[in-house]
Amino acid sequence: MADATFLDVRRIAADTDAETADVALAMTEDEFRAFYDRTSGALWGYLSRISGDRQVADDLLQESYYRLLKSAVAFESENHRRNYLYRIATNLVRDSRRSAKPLFAQGIEVAEIAGPEGHASPEARQDVRRALGRLKPRERALLWLAYANGSSHAEIADVLGLKTGSIKLLLFRARRKMATALQRG
Amino acid sequence: MDRMKPTNREQEPTDAEIETIIAGAIAAEASAACREAQPPSSAVVWWRAQMRARQEAARAVERPLTIVHALAIACCIGLFVSTVGVAVAGMKGSFGWLGGIYTALATGAAVDLTGRWIMVPMTAMIISIVIASIAALVIFADE
Repeated sequence: MADATFLDVRRIAADTDAETADVALAMTEDEFRAFYDRTSGALWGYLSRISGDRQVADDLLQESYYRLLKSAVAFESENHRRNYLYRIATNLVRDSRRSAKPLFAQGIEVAEIAGPEGHASPEARQDVRRALGRLKPRERALLWLAYANGSSHAEIADVLGLKTGSIKLLLFRARRKMATALQRG
Repeated sequence: MDRMKPTNREQEPTDAEIETIIAGAIAAEASAACREAQPPSSAVVWWRAQMRARQEAARAVERPLTIVHALAIACCIGLFVSTVGVAVAGMKGSFGWLGGIYTALATGAAVDLTGRWIMVPMTAMIISIVIASIAALVIFADE
């Protein structure tokens, strides 16, 4: 260290601080891991169906959790935290749409394994995905939050940045549009 | 979704029926998505988040130093250029101006610093020295 300049010392000190100091994350490791295990599967499903791309879903999943960890929001409840996570994810999908990748360009392959308790056939699921692909991303998000997550109108409004009063009408329109898309096959 | 293809086209499904069908289809799709999902483990995501946060913290610390470095380098270049300028001016004037200063100092007369070849590099040198001093102060001052 005798040859180290003052600036070298400063840089080494900064690196050491960064390695050893507690970085400012919003949750402890145990809290995070429990929350992640509870929510990651559902969030991946949301991201993959809203973006229409598994690779995008993989990338945005980690980014969503990172931004949640870096947020300085004081969460009142588990639901509040979850809604905030979905809000981050929705915004990330919105941002990723600016890239050249067309949504649902290749479609999402239907899993070959059928559901254990008589889930819809692969053809029917393909129809559902095709119909979802014909909706606007916001409509997909609305339907997913309402019927996959069981979110209330207030929660959906919070996640999508809309007025609570408008959710009922928007959901009605999205349902109609999806029904028409399903009828077309 | 055969249920959505009515045999009799005059018989439109009601809103409640549509909602039931759409809700069922989305719920089935959601459970399929959950089965397909293979997110990385929580330990991996936590570790990556930690590493990224640390890297960002380190970058944030280094950023002001980089700015000060750039400023200091710019001042050194300014000093060098002005020194070269003075030297060139000296050579161009066949050291006449130095002689003038020497003569003026020896006789106690006022030094003429208004000459074109003296004013420009001297001004640049003075400005560079001031800026370099401020930059050095910022570098070596404790945060």
